[in-house]
Amino acid sequence: MLETVINILLLFILPFFFLGLINRVKSFWAGRQGPSIIQPFRDFIRLMKKGEVISTTSSFVFRIAPSVTFASVIAAGLIVPLAGGKAALSFEMDFILFAYLLGLGKFMTVAGAMDTGSSFEGMGASREVAFSALVEPAFFVIIASLGLISGGLSFEKIFTITRGGDMAVLVLPLGVIALFIMLLVEGCRVPVDDPNTHLELTMIHEVMVLDNSGPDMGFIVYAAGMKMIVIGALIANLIIPNGIPFWAALASFLGVTAALAVVIGTIESVMARLRMTHVPQFLLFMTAISVVIVSTVVLFISGGIK
Amino acid sequence: MEMMDLFIIGIGTILAGGFVSMPLPERMKSWVVAFFTGCGAALVVYVSVIAMFAQEPISSGYVLSYPVGTVTLVIDKLSAFFAMVISVMSFIGTVYAIGYMRPYCGKKNTVTSHFFFLAVLVASMLAVTAVQNVAAFLIAWEVMSLSSFFLVAFENEREEVYRASINYLVAMHVGVLFLIGGFLAAAYKSGSLDFASFTAVFGENRNLANLVFVLLFVGFGTKAGFIPFHTWLPKAHPAAPSHISGLMSGIMIKTGIYGILRVITLIKIPGVEIAYFVLIISVISGILGVAYAIAQHNIKRLLAYHSVENIGIIGIGIGIGMLGLACGIAPIALLGFAGGILHVLNHSVFKSLLFFAAGGVYQKTHLLDIEKLGGIVKFMTFTSVAFLVGSIAISGLPPFNGFVSEFFIYWGMLKGLSAGNTLISIVMVVSFASLALIGAMALLCFTKVFGVVFLGSPRSDYHGAPSEVSYTMRAAMAAQILIIVLIGIFPQYAFAGISIVAKTFMPGGGTALNVSPYLATLGGISTGLLIFIGISAGLFIMRGILLRNRSVYGYKTWDCGYQAGNTRMQYTASSYAAPFLRLVRPLFSWHVHLEKPQGLFPKDAGFESHAEDRFERGIIEPIISLIERFLNAFTWIQSGSTQQYILYGLIFLIAITLWIMVV
Repeated sequence: MLETVINILLLFILPFFFLGLINRVKSFWAGRQGPSIIQPFRDFIRLMKKGEVISTTSSFVFRIAPSVTFASVIAAGLIVPLAGGKAALSFEMDFILFAYLLGLGKFMTVAGAMDTGSSFEGMGASREVAFSALVEPAFFVIIASLGLISGGLSFEKIFTITRGGDMAVLVLPLGVIALFIMLLVEGCRVPVDDPNTHLELTMIHEVMVLDNSGPDMGFIVYAAGMKMIVIGALIANLIIPNGIPFWAALASFLGVTAALAVVIGTIESVMARLRMTHVPQFLLFMTAISVVIVSTVVLFISGGIK
Repeated sequence: MEMMDLFIIGIGTILAGGFVSMPLPERMKSWVVAFFTGCGAALVVYVSVIAMFAQEPISSGYVLSYPVGTVTLVIDKLSAFFAMVISVMSFIGTVYAIGYMRPYCGKKNTVTSHFFFLAVLVASMLAVTAVQNVAAFLIAWEVMSLSSFFLVAFENEREEVYRASINYLVAMHVGVLFLIGGFLAAAYKSGSLDFASFTAVFGENRNLANLVFVLLFVGFGTKAGFIPFHTWLPKAHPAAPSHISGLMSGIMIKTGIYGILRVITLIKIPGVEIAYFVLIISVISGILGVAYAIAQHNIKRLLAYHSVENIGIIGIGIGIGMLGLACGIAPIALLGFAGGILHVLNHSVFKSLLFFAAGGVYQKTHLLDIEKLGGIVKFMTFTSVAFLVGSIAISGLPPFNGFVSEFFIYWGMLKGLSAGNTLISIVMVVSFASLALIGAMALLCFTKVFGVVFLGSPRSDYHGAPSEVSYTMRAAMAAQILIIVLIGIFPQYAFAGISIVAKTFMPGGGTALNVSPYLATLGGISTGLLIFIGISAGLFIMRGILLRNRSVYGYKTWDCGYQAGNTRMQYTASSYAAPFLRLVRPLFSWHVHLEKPQGLFPKDAGFESHAEDRFERGIIEPIISLIERFLNAFTWIQSGSTQQYILYGLIFLIAITLWIMVV
């Protein structure tokens, strides 16, 4: 019970620190002092205190979209085990609901963007859905392979896979790389998308929320951070061995999450966003990894490789 | 009174509605047909519910004259399920028709025949589910095809409608040829036209069973719309009136699925090879159906391609189920069939809802071209909400019903993944990834349609603000939304019902199978979704409270400082789909027309692109032209010259005289 409470608290608290840490890492690379690590939290509070400017072109869809998107990420976050491999809500095949809840959030964000009638926002929306169509199958294949190894069909059971053995040596690092690519896509980070760009034409996620302001914008930023924590938790669960005491698991979970923020911040500092036409190739790399993973697993299990 | 008589009275009542409506004034026809269909549907549903929970199927034999012979009518659980879906959804369709057909009253001379054939179509679909005799089945099947042909051809004065309906008629009859071939092959061996007699034949001869199954699959698949037998669908749906598109896409093509399922119940344990056959065709139909849909600009044509996609998903479920049966793994079979069969119901609800909403837009704007629409939500809020619900449901997203059936299918696949057979594992992973891809592509397609048609600003002048559709049309859509939400939020009850039908495919009726672990998991989903809905509502209320005493004002959309933005600068559907379509370019044959700007001060420039279905061009058209060339070789026989015809008569007389003399 205590574990669940701590996990839910983590789900709500970590997004701010995660975003703050990324910014700190970026300022370190740029040789700047950088904002405080809790600056994203202050920004969130500031947004919650504001009024809103709403496009006159928009309808009720624009008004409900941020709330529904945020709720979908929270609900998805309750399904994912954070520290200690325990999720607040777990049942067989829960990862399907996880993926489809995130899909619903995407649907509403895109609908909200299209509601403003802006061509910039339409452009961002069109890229977002095209790229996620490439990521989705790969994610499903990876989770299915992990399920095949562990013999479990829920997130909690999938991550109890044994870390030793030839198969795990090959599959786990590949899984971490593939899920990290997914984290970059879903979190809209470099090299897929650049959250700091100032040109609407080159944006993906940021451009979809150009017209949002006030509490709605707060929900959107919060949801984006939480989505990264949730997908980061999948990576953390792959890395952290199971069966260790909860406090150790909690510490290593926080460690992995912080490490992810450092890696993301470093990537954003040392490389530029890919050209839009090259993004699909980058995403198909994830598909390729997932094919390697599933082939390995199927061959191992059927005794093809001895 | 016997149950079966009640069922027949139900069908008769629906048919009677067609006859009674004929002499009545035009405005009353729709009400009469809806009323009679409602009464008939109530009887059919009553009988079906009893059949669902009965130990033994309701059955009864009727002796008819040659060539039909004794017709056995059987309502088992499978028939009962389809009869229920057909009668309820048809009733909703006829209610929608009341409002949709009003503008045509007094303007067309085909309204009378339209309502008559509407009643005939519903009655014949119900008959198809109950008859278990080849000859009677084919007669009911043919009545269904013909009556729907007349319904499609409602606006036959329009060239494209006329062509589409003839195309439909031809496709249906090609399909029937395969059905006759398949049924006769089985009937020849068994010596009886009764379906029940086939089981023994199939059991003895595996190869014959496979051959018959493939032939019947092609025949039923033509009706259902599996690729490559789908080419009539994208033509017929835009041509037909919207309630007919909804009925055809939602229910009538499902009789093809019913046929396939019926054959599986006769085969009992299908071979692995036909399970793979179904699975491969279904995966192809699913992926290509939605890929082609993304490229469409006509909203009803787009929805028609989505029927191909959803038939593919249903087929994937059935294929997984067959694989489970073939390998003797009951949970896979149960989940596969449950997913496929529930998707039959789900698709019939959300697809007809989408067609009804699109029909409402067409009625008020007279536009079907997505690129010319926009901003409908400001004029027709209810219709827009209906389309939004349908869009989310068809994309397979929670908390609506499309998610539930896809969830069952995913589940069956993962059970199969760990079945311990390498080939099956690979097949399951590929279909698993395909279903995920189909879902992501459907999301792309429906954000496109909903975003472009309903959101933003109008892209053309609508000749006056479109008003909301009539109350009867809204009532029909509201009923569908209710079904979508209920199945979506309470999947455990849906599974409890569907598993009764799915169990009939199991050896021994699946009585040994315990479904309670599944219900527990589905209860988990239900909890998760209720939490999600609660959080959404909570956040939205919180937003309202936060904004209560603050300045919230409207301003124009951010336009990057450009002051002269207009509605035609909005992102178009083609641009929206372009990044994805570029990735799947080889699937289409593209026709691009580019008029480059010329000179220093260019005035005219233009760009047009059309994406065409490769199957139509690459497979169907060459076959048709081959047949045409062959038949053209005989045109000299019918030359039109009287002398030649008299010569034929003379030759015939001489020949017959010789024959009599010689023999």
